[in-house]
Amino acid sequence: MKLQEIIDKVGLKKLTNVEVRNVQGVFISDMLSDVMTNAKSGNLWLTVQTHKNTVSAANLINLAAIVVTHGKEVPQETIDLANRFYVIILGSDLSTYELVSKLIGIGLKP
Amino acid sequence: MQKEKCAHTWQMVNVTPCFIITEKCYHCGKISTYFSTGHNPPMEEYREGEHYWNFMESAQSIHFDLKCTKCNMLVKFDELLGVKMCTGCDENCEANTLLKKLEPERTWVYIAFGCLPVNEKKQLSKEKISILEEYFNQRRKSSKSRIKVISHEIVSNIEDCYAEVIKDVDMLSLTLPEK
Amino acid sequence: MAEELKLNLNLKRIKKVLKADVIQGKGLLSTKISGVYASDLVSDVLAYSKSGSVLLTGLCTKQVAISAYLSLFKAIIFIRGKRPNKEILEFAEEKNMIILLTENDMFEACVKIANADSNSISKFVKLIESSEKKNTSVHKFHIDGQDFSNSGLLSTQIKSILQNIGYEPYLIKRVSISAYEGEMNVVMHAKEANLTLNANEKEIQIIINDRGKGIPDIEQAMQAGYSTATEDQRALGFGSGMGLPNIKKNSDELKITSEVGKGTKVEMKFYVIQE
Ligand SMILES: [Zn+2]
Ligand SMILES: [Zn+2]
Repeated sequence: MKLQEIIDKVGLKKLTNVEVRNVQGVFISDMLSDVMTNAKSGNLWLTVQTHKNTVSAANLINLAAIVVTHGKEVPQETIDLANRFYVIILGSDLSTYELVSKLIGIGLKP
Repeated sequence: MQKEKCAHTWQMVNVTPCFIITEKCYHCGKISTYFSTGHNPPMEEYREGEHYWNFMESAQSIHFDLKCTKCNMLVKFDELLGVKMCTGCDENCEANTLLKKLEPERTWVYIAFGCLPVNEKKQLSKEKISILEEYFNQRRKSSKSRIKVISHEIVSNIEDCYAEVIKDVDMLSLTLPEK
Repeated sequence: MAEELKLNLNLKRIKKVLKADVIQGKGLLSTKISGVYASDLVSDVLAYSKSGSVLLTGLCTKQVAISAYLSLFKAIIFIRGKRPNKEILEFAEEKNMIILLTENDMFEACVKIANADSNSISKFVKLIESSEKKNTSVHKFHIDGQDFSNSGLLSTQIKSILQNIGYEPYLIKRVSISAYEGEMNVVMHAKEANLTLNANEKEIQIIINDRGKGIPDIEQAMQAGYSTATEDQRALGFGSGMGLPNIKKNSDELKITSEVGKGTKVEMKFYVIQE
């Protein structure tokens, strides 16, 4: 599924620049070590982590985008770093669990 | 007769959660880092050779090895403490020069770092670093962008490098997020 | 105090859809669940306010169990085949918490529960707190610095004491979180400390007197994200914030006095609001 389609249908906020990308699967974790071990290239990563080093992890594994849930504010330094490395960060006011319900609704499956 | 060379396909194996412990010697100013599987770092100053180590910090991370799914070759990564993304924090650092050169083609520089102090502990070999690079690029599959893994020995001053380390700090802290 | 609980699911159903193993609290499976929360961050678990929920997490540490308990979670589901150790199980047993294990990853688990959830009927029910008797009680404790294996346990003891007295759950939560942060500060930064809990009808007071390094600049330490790490450790990416800002956020009064090289005294007060 195209990232833009997900952004539009679920109503995600664009916190960084966004480019055309394909999303393949969803990964949920708040641990970077977990991302490094188990996330897959092209995953949409749902997390409450907002530290700069999320960019480091997302870029290494080539994740489609980071979605920061629970309406958490993302620090400017994280956004700046993400823009430089073409890492896309999106935001949602929903909880991780609520967002999953919406993602199922638009057809994303495990 | 030469054996046919395997085009390895790497897989992460022996993944073990652990803590990266950081200590400092106030006599020589050196920093020591190492893996620990428990969360019981020595809290009191202790002596090791000429150093007097003091606990500074611990962060959660993982230890792993790589194994080829085709030929079963196992490569141990005991010397690898972690990887961090070069953000070009030092104009005069060779890692930054490399990043500047590779950035236009979206190749990102990651620094594989071993335990500190660098000259007192065993460090990753060149072969292992290229295997690590191969592994992360295999995981990126179709992506046009690539990963370049370099040794921390290229970094001009590893103790002053602000690259973004992939690790989990504060997992045990209970600081409430701002409403 | 009355609190509304939204009923969507019970644990039997969750166990079924996740093909989960119940390793603690088999007899409690008909327990109703008010919400589902997916997180690996102890701080976020603590900030979550809906009591009686189920926590989905991949972080398998005792601190997660403690924070889930402090945040009034009913059950913890460890994902991706993570197995809690004996300590976590004993803690859960003691606190009447339910622990389930599933092989699913976080996304799969959320999807399966969400699907089951939408099939069920939502109802509302009122939970009425029965707590009228309040006595004055004073308790003294000792905390050992560096004792990571027991860190966090004292705050659960304090929580039990306050529950027995019958304070309102949100007040108990604020006090327990502050006590946990105070306790962790001692464990991480001091040699030892004495903690006094003074609870009466008007207020709850906690005083922690530690023997340790002391805090050179209290104002600075009160800022969120302040860290004791030096510049060069920050460069390495190490340096965690102290819990003092969190205590401030949760308490009604906070006084800190410190002497560098000797120790720190943290006094916190929580007002009991009468109906
Ligand atoms: Zn091979
Ligand atoms: Zn030394």
